[in-house]
Amino acid sequence: MAKRERRVGYGWPVLLATGVHIAALMLTIVKWPESESDPTSSSVVQATLVRAETATDQPQQTEDSTPPASQPEEEDVQEPEEPAPSESSEEPASDSDAEVTDSAVEEAQAEAQRLQEEAQRAEEQRAEAERKRQAEAEAERKRQAEAEAERKRQAEAEAERKRQAEAEAERKRQAEAEAERKRQAEAEAERMRQAEAEAERKRQAEAEAERKRQEEAEAERKRQEEAEAERKRQEELAERAAQANDSSLDSMISDEEQSIANAKQASEAANGFKNLVRRYVEQNWNIPSNASSELRAIVRIQLLPTGELVSATITQSSGNSVFDHSVINAVEKAAPFREMRELDASVKGQFREFNLDFNPEDIRR
Amino acid sequence: MNDSMSIPHLIMNASLIVQLVMLLLLAASIASWIIIFQRSIALRRAEKAYRDFEDHFWSGVDLNELYRDLPAEQESVGAEHVFRSGFREFNRLMPKTQSTDAVLEGVQRGQRVALSREEDRLQLHLTFLATVASASPYIGLFGTVWGIMGSFQSLSMAQQATLSTVAPWIAEALVATAMGLFAAIPAVIFYNRLSAHAGRLLGKYENFAEEFHAILHRNLQGRSEREAS
Repeated sequence: MAKRERRVGYGWPVLLATGVHIAALMLTIVKWPESESDPTSSSVVQATLVRAETATDQPQQTEDSTPPASQPEEEDVQEPEEPAPSESSEEPASDSDAEVTDSAVEEAQAEAQRLQEEAQRAEEQRAEAERKRQAEAEAERKRQAEAEAERKRQAEAEAERKRQAEAEAERKRQAEAEAERKRQAEAEAERMRQAEAEAERKRQAEAEAERKRQEEAEAERKRQEEAEAERKRQEELAERAAQANDSSLDSMISDEEQSIANAKQASEAANGFKNLVRRYVEQNWNIPSNASSELRAIVRIQLLPTGELVSATITQSSGNSVFDHSVINAVEKAAPFREMRELDASVKGQFREFNLDFNPEDIRR
Repeated sequence: MNDSMSIPHLIMNASLIVQLVMLLLLAASIASWIIIFQRSIALRRAEKAYRDFEDHFWSGVDLNELYRDLPAEQESVGAEHVFRSGFREFNRLMPKTQSTDAVLEGVQRGQRVALSREEDRLQLHLTFLATVASASPYIGLFGTVWGIMGSFQSLSMAQQATLSTVAPWIAEALVATAMGLFAAIPAVIFYNRLSAHAGRLLGKYENFAEEFHAILHRNLQGRSEREAS
């Protein structure tokens, strides 16, 4: 007795506990796909259900309504017959004490008459019942016809609804496909823009390196030329003037070339810096939700040579003060522009003050 | 979109700490269910054993015989244990002393020890259930708070905060709270149920001990009167 209950092992409890958890997990996993597929299937089911209701309900009602109508008829037919035998059995019993023959004759006559009346009444009732039944059948036929018409109308409405739903679904699908295409195109454009910015930056860096190398080479050449000139000056006084003239001409030509190259590089760097500033500002720009894409604001930005922001003012307002404010905020948030320090002096001067053009269409997607 | 919001997907995508919290809660839940099943079975068996023993005890069997039939001290549980320790004390003290009070006191002490052991055995592991019940909602809440913290940190990098960028993170974090409640609710319910059951059974043992004590007392009283006369 005692041995059986002594120890309760942990084997079964472990199995049961893991079973409980697996069941709970299955519930969470299985329930999701069901709830997802619900809306699509339910619409179909609802459609068939409505139809089934209208098709079966009304015939059932008409069938239900016929038996109560026919039952009273039967009762009517049976009732008049019942009292007849009971009366006929009672009366002979009461009259049997008196004259037997008289009463027998009278009774027979009365009986016959009663029977006749009975038969007549039954006939009338039957006719009545027949008429009723016909009226009933007529009503029945009418009701069925109505039900039929009703069913047809509902089926048509159903078909119409379905067609509309399909058209709706088709339109939606097309809209989605359209949206998808647009999104992809935008993503593509974004990627291209980024690639361009990247290329721009690279080009700028290369130009910078190139310019430095050229400057160094120039300085070297100058030093050499100076040394050369010095030596020549010391050695040949007579030829010195002519030589000096030559070298100055050479340097002037090279200076000119250098300045042209510098200007080119500067314009490139300027473009790059402007793009950079624009990107920073756009990243920090919280576009007001009600801003339409027609709004456009131009901001004048003043910077220190170190890239610090001195001031940002609206030069051309968009007409929407919230929008203007958001633009100013974005610029203030994006500052300072540390890349300013890496520009060279000539370009820097250009960027002490410049305009930025803001339009939500460029950013929003 | 819907696929990414399914619960397994959310769990797989959660951050490491949230996943650890979830793992802890899962372990707590499994352990508490093991204890729930083990204790339920053990208590049901103990109750059945007590009923069988009581029937046997009150069927008029000779107590010496009953004592011999029972298994050894270490293996007997429940009311048998109480009976055995009381009766053994009685048998040992009887030849040594004439004082009935001393004998009865010894018997009572033996029974008290046996009862406290039985109490221990019945309420084994129930404190773990209570711990899970009270702690796991907090652990789950910690996971949720941590997950939402992470979501806001990553939100600060995003350009614009809309509901669709916040919602998946928060849903993910809330799974931890759901798991904490999933572990805690059964633990609370079954802790109350099982501890009430154990208490009831212990009360029955105590009643039995008193009854047994009364029987011994009656025996001793009869004997001392016989000796006196």
